[in-house]
Amino acid sequence: MLKIRSLEVAYGGLHALNGVSLEVERGEFVAVVGPNGAGKTTLFKTISGIVTPLAGAITYMERDLLAVAPAERAQLGIAHVPEGRQVFASMTVMENLEMGAYTRKGQQRWSETLPMILALFPILAERRAQLAGTLSGGEQQMLAIGRGLASAPELLMLDEPSMGLAPAIVDAIFERIHHIHRNGLTILLVEQRVAEALETCDRGYVLETGRVAMEGTHKTLMADERVRRAYLGM
Amino acid sequence: MDDLYWHLVDFLQAFAAGLLVGGTYGLMCVGLGIIFGVMRVVNFAHGDFMMLGMYAAFYLVTGFGVLAFLGPYAGPIAGAVLAGPIVFAIGWLLHKFLISRVTGARVVAAEAEGHYAQIILTLGIALVLANGGLILFGSTPLSVQTPLSRESWEIGPVFLNQARAVGFIMAVICALGLYLFLTRTNLGKALRAAADNPTAAAYVGIDVDRAHRLAFGLGVGITGVAGGLFAMSQSFQPYIGFDFVIVMYAGVVLGGMGSILGAFWGGLTIGLVQQMSTLILPYQLQNTAIFVVFLVIVFFRPQGMFGRVWERT
Ligand SMILES: Nc1ncnc2c1ncn2[C@@H]1O[C@H](COP(=O)(O)OP(=O)(O)OP(=O)(O)O)[C@@H](O)[C@H]1O
Ligand SMILES: [Mg+2]
Repeated sequence: MLKIRSLEVAYGGLHALNGVSLEVERGEFVAVVGPNGAGKTTLFKTISGIVTPLAGAITYMERDLLAVAPAERAQLGIAHVPEGRQVFASMTVMENLEMGAYTRKGQQRWSETLPMILALFPILAERRAQLAGTLSGGEQQMLAIGRGLASAPELLMLDEPSMGLAPAIVDAIFERIHHIHRNGLTILLVEQRVAEALETCDRGYVLETGRVAMEGTHKTLMADERVRRAYLGM
Repeated sequence: MDDLYWHLVDFLQAFAAGLLVGGTYGLMCVGLGIIFGVMRVVNFAHGDFMMLGMYAAFYLVTGFGVLAFLGPYAGPIAGAVLAGPIVFAIGWLLHKFLISRVTGARVVAAEAEGHYAQIILTLGIALVLANGGLILFGSTPLSVQTPLSRESWEIGPVFLNQARAVGFIMAVICALGLYLFLTRTNLGKALRAAADNPTAAAYVGIDVDRAHRLAFGLGVGITGVAGGLFAMSQSFQPYIGFDFVIVMYAGVVLGGMGSILGAFWGGLTIGLVQQMSTLILPYQLQNTAIFVVFLVIVFFRPQGMFGRVWERT
């Protein structure tokens, strides 16, 4: 569904991605893990079109994604739940979800997606008229994921949904993501919480200073000696 | 007893006058409220867009007489309304070629969100518009002629100038229409979302540059309409923008940043204070009175009358 070939991205002279290749099949749950500054967020921003690569190719459902304008990429079914949540702070919870459904498909499917989102995160139904900026961190993360789902996407990209949250909330959020995936959505997840991410994914990539250092199925990565030592603390 | 009666009449008269002029101020503030309150763009040329609205209305109605066929009553009102799209188009173009360079997603990370560059750029635009206006339109004070400005409605002992009253009604309708547009329609919400968080807006599929351009055009266009309405009861010259811009900022801050209805109330309050201050203060102190009230309200309610507080994420 998503194929990335030899992606090169630089900010000014500094290379953030050095030839990253990655693939996501329909229905898969793919995790990208790696330390701070590895280029994970940059990878997502490039897929969404906020950052333009120097070289490389991205194909999404047989289309050259780099030729598609950034605002049109959401229309193709890509939902990006950004790092640090980035909710529309001055708008209500409901308005945030409505904006998630800004795409044509989101509009058409609104009557089905909204009840699904509210069932997944009941707290959002309770807080529907509250300004998003006044929600707690965990609630904002749920809203950001709900907003992503509201577009009725084909591919859900999650950038560090665990960031700054208490362990109990992180578990709840991972459990929800797992649930969304079991219902058939393709997921691309970026995480620093390597253990949780590798446990839930089908396949994973380890990104280190802008390169794919390792890739493999959930089982191979979990069993890999280097991964265990460097990331799982075993 | 008689004395008290006339004091009361004076009071009511000043109140009514303040309300009527305040409605037009309110609409001006609503326009700035979109740009400064919602989009957080500093636009010092805002008063000059109001001036452009005044001249647009003047040339449509009196100068070229395009709207003469509508008659002396409907013509000036139609002129004010049509000044909106004209000023919108000017604002849209200025935003596309100049203002977008110092606003929006490109500069959120810059120091003070690009406000320094915005101040300089829009001050420059303000000067160009005011001086350009002087060359194009001349310095003779003009006004949009309408018989309404010489007629009054009487409510008991209180006189309501018809031009101001009609301006008030139109201003309320426009402000309400804009409020409903921004809070009830998908496009309106998208404009707010693009202003609130440009990056996230792009992720949900909003064309952020287009949204900013539309919002800017809308903000100046609405103020242009207010200018056109105001021109029915007030004479103007190309430098009138400078007299109004600070008052408009006061109105927006008074109402609460980011609140459209608040901006309208802010402008209304300023009109009321300005007119009612004449009851007890000499005419020259009108603007001082406005800022004293402004400081008092901001002292007790820093978020403005209708401002809501949230942390920016
Ligand atoms: N806008 C930018 N300008 C300049 N350099 C940047 C910019 N954004 C990111 N970088 C640099 O690119 C590299 C990769 O950053 P990126 O945000 O993609 O890392 P990350 O893997 O998401 O890290 P984290 O886990 O901390 O979120 C870092 O060295 C960072 O300093
Ligand atoms: Mg990151």
